[in-house]
Amino acid sequence: MPRFSEKAYRRRVWQAMTAYVGCMLLLWPQLHVVSGPVLKVALALLPVVPMLYLISLMWRRVRHSDELQQRTHLVALGVATMVVSALSLGAGFLAAAQVLVLRGDILIWVFPVILVCYDLTRWWVGRRYGVMGTCEEASRFPVYLRLLLAAAAIALGALAFRHQLGEHQFDAFLGVACVVAAAGVLAALVRWRSRQHHDGDAL
Amino acid sequence: MKNTVRELRGEHGWSQAEMAERLDVSRQTVNAIETGKYDPSLPLAFKIAALFGRPIESIFDPGE
Repeated sequence: MPRFSEKAYRRRVWQAMTAYVGCMLLLWPQLHVVSGPVLKVALALLPVVPMLYLISLMWRRVRHSDELQQRTHLVALGVATMVVSALSLGAGFLAAAQVLVLRGDILIWVFPVILVCYDLTRWWVGRRYGVMGTCEEASRFPVYLRLLLAAAAIALGALAFRHQLGEHQFDAFLGVACVVAAAGVLAALVRWRSRQHHDGDAL
Repeated sequence: MKNTVRELRGEHGWSQAEMAERLDVSRQTVNAIETGKYDPSLPLAFKIAALFGRPIESIFDPGE
């Protein structure tokens, strides 16, 4: 089976994420000025397209992985699903009991939380098998640097388009930038720990 | 489960990356097998045995 390299996967993920952020910054704010239900629905669902592409990439990645990678992917997906389900269930009951007031747009965060749980669990499971990092660590443009740059780009984009974005959207973008920056710091730590553990393993 | 994959790979002069390519798995998987952190599936164990031209029981030892 032809292998779907980590490098190709990462490159496509970045393309999808760029498209997503672009949609959110440039097109989504136009929702307020667009009239007509069809156009409004199309514009509202536009950011879903790059996310569907991302899901298809994840599917390809799991399908083309070897048996150990598949195990870590599937355990991570299972744990992520359980964590998000438990959170949703708890939050749903709290909202039903009117202890917690939740807006409908909180559903937008379900997928990102799944992705974060998935990546953290995959890293955790990988540690058990001595697979703390990926070959990507040898890259001249490592993941942590990309994440930090992406965080900076999202924050700068939000600042540049501040007048087009609503206050809630602006805060959401800054929140996403902080989460991505935190993920970058985490990736840098993982890379550092991984290099310490695996020096001299290659041969 | 103990195995002699690292020794056999050394005898053949292959790096982990080369062996991974021959088995169509990742280098990390070869490393996990060699260090005993991961026990391969039966098909992969047979593939490893075939790669080294040895019976499977001479490479993998279930131990206790």
